[in-house]
Amino acid sequence: MKRAIIIRYAELFLKKKNRGYFETIFENNIKKALEGLTFELHKNSGRYIIDGFDEYDVEEMVERLKKVFGLHTLSVAYITTTDLDGMLEAALLVCPDSGTFKVESHRGDKRYPMTSVEISRVLGGKILSVRHDLKVDVHNPDRTVCVDVREGGTALVFGEYIEGANGMPVGTAGKGLLLISGGIDSPVAGHMIAKRGMRVETLHFHSYPYTNDQAKDKVIDLAKILSQYTGVSKLHTVSVTHIQEEIHEKCKPELMITLLRRFMFRIAERHALRIGAQCLITGESLGQVASQTIEGMTSSNSVVEKLPILRPLVGFDKNEIIDRAVKIGTYETSILPYEDCCTVFLPEFPAIRPKLKDILAEEAKLDVEGLIKEAFASLEKIEF
Amino acid sequence: MIYLDNAATTKPNERAMARAQNFITERYFNPSAKYREGYALQSELKSARSSLLSAVADPTAFECVFTSCGTESNNQAIFSLARRGNAITTAGEHSAVSACFAELKQRGVECRVAPLQRDGRVDVEKLLSLVDEKTSFVSVMHVNNEMGAINDINGIAKRIKAKNPRVIFHSDGVQAYGKIPFKLAKEVDLYSVSAHKLGGLKGVGALIKRKSLVLPAYIYGGGQERGLRSGTENVFGIMSFAYAAEEKFATLKQDYERIKGYREAFWSALNPQHFDRISSQEGSPYILTLSAKGLRGEIVLHMAEDKGLLIGTGSACSSNAKTRYNKVVLAMGYSEQVADGAIRISFSTDTTAEEVEAAAAILSDVVNELRTRMNIKES
Repeated sequence: MKRAIIIRYAELFLKKKNRGYFETIFENNIKKALEGLTFELHKNSGRYIIDGFDEYDVEEMVERLKKVFGLHTLSVAYITTTDLDGMLEAALLVCPDSGTFKVESHRGDKRYPMTSVEISRVLGGKILSVRHDLKVDVHNPDRTVCVDVREGGTALVFGEYIEGANGMPVGTAGKGLLLISGGIDSPVAGHMIAKRGMRVETLHFHSYPYTNDQAKDKVIDLAKILSQYTGVSKLHTVSVTHIQEEIHEKCKPELMITLLRRFMFRIAERHALRIGAQCLITGESLGQVASQTIEGMTSSNSVVEKLPILRPLVGFDKNEIIDRAVKIGTYETSILPYEDCCTVFLPEFPAIRPKLKDILAEEAKLDVEGLIKEAFASLEKIEF
Repeated sequence: MIYLDNAATTKPNERAMARAQNFITERYFNPSAKYREGYALQSELKSARSSLLSAVADPTAFECVFTSCGTESNNQAIFSLARRGNAITTAGEHSAVSACFAELKQRGVECRVAPLQRDGRVDVEKLLSLVDEKTSFVSVMHVNNEMGAINDINGIAKRIKAKNPRVIFHSDGVQAYGKIPFKLAKEVDLYSVSAHKLGGLKGVGALIKRKSLVLPAYIYGGGQERGLRSGTENVFGIMSFAYAAEEKFATLKQDYERIKGYREAFWSALNPQHFDRISSQEGSPYILTLSAKGLRGEIVLHMAEDKGLLIGTGSACSSNAKTRYNKVVLAMGYSEQVADGAIRISFSTDTTAEEVEAAAAILSDVVNELRTRMNIKES
């Protein structure tokens, strides 16, 4: 028996006048998520139906759709004829293995000779006449057998609501630039912002040859996992090697990270403006490491002139972040042991509460503009 | 590009590949087939087996089982025979042995690890002190892949058997086979070798075993390799392995001396203020392991790579390990800082004197440049 996937969307219904705009983006995101597979997408009274796919693709389609933001729930349904025998055959396929059930019907085709209540009652009876081991429980059933009688002589029968990613369709809330390291936090931050509908591009800083290609590949892998949610299939990289060397040579070691981060934020803002991003996104969490104190954040913020910096993880504990990383599938990659650029010149005792006066004094020893310009010369765009 | 990471793998020997080519294009049959073309391959495999075996062992006392790699040979030896009492290995083993011992421990076999001396060889007295009447299995690598130290496995096996004759003695010979002048003593029960370290292909190895040793089957199936390791034979891989090995063994002693000269020339060309030498003079000439003082080996590796020199930082198989330090260098008693700076230069018979000279110059340049960039003061 052929199957279809029913997609119900999340907050879209709230956006009355803009609904068309949101729906178009949502549809495009669905199509992008299912790229490479054969399918047809139909809009159908406040939801979407996907059919015309190869049966063996169903599981993969469901997995991909579960990552599309704006999708509330989905169900895999059997497509059958609207006569009782056809509906019964499908209903038996979605009945529980044992325990209790109820039938819930919906009648899209109002000319259908039975009412919804009658369909549920009659079909329930027929199921019981075949499956003597099952019982009906209309209040708290183990499974609800859902029947949807559509116009055109077909019915959809399903027994499960699969939770989607919820949130808003990516692309409905502008564009941001995520500073992505190889760690656990930044992909989670990107995921959270993308969930609210923002298109999230990624920028990574490396220190080749102090870091290696494996570290870079790891970040590409993380960006790829993130792209399943954001639909953005590229990563920008910039080398900060010479900046680190200059700081190492000329400045106080305890300010290495603080100074480096100021360079990173400057570069990130300029790059964001170039690509039309409206904010920077980081995975910082207050107090997690020496550079993520409020003083550290103040120091970074003071070099970003035009754009807001979103720090969605600022109030999260590490464990909470890890839980999310596991859930979105980035954790396993994040914990691979390759060095990211921060650790190579890591001072033994980094300044926890750097003072702006000291930072500015140290920074004055460096050719800030020259180094930024040089770093931009190393800008690479990796598409995957 | 100069390739000096031959302990990781060697360039396939083109003459051997060309000679074996007909086993792909014309004689592609299954050696187990009943028709003549298939059956004829059996005798080809037999001659390959015999030449690979007789190069290091008495063919009347030993036999050879083809496997898919050195790692598989080690796994077969260890998991087939180290099943009771206690099993002993050294702190210098390649992960193809040490990871097996970690798994043995999980399976309830008591595992003991003998420490290394400063020169990278196993401390034989301490190893012997670990052997008791319950010891069932001992594995000691022949040539250490990280820094080339050569263990006298024949001598060690003899002393172990004198203490407990029931012990089964295995050695990982992957870095020794085709490089070190040597013949197996009868006290060595099992010896693992690999094709791609001497000009053969990846995906081919062998386990040499004493004939009278009863070895259980490791991979079950069609009964190939006399039932010990089923699976259709990799005819091209095995034949090219035999042809490549034939060349190596023909000039083994001359090459040994020539490469020894290269190793010392390389070392002499470097500034000893910038490097610690980890490989000893007595080790395999094919491996020279150094530590770049105050630098991280991998950074040196990448800088050298950008200038056209490929070297290693130790076992390629352990670069995925969670700890970044070279564990074998640590086991030799060096500090973490020295282990962190470890780089491995490994030669092959293809290496030329010009390459050695040019490579040493590149390495010197790289280290000089990095020391300047990282602001390391001359001591």
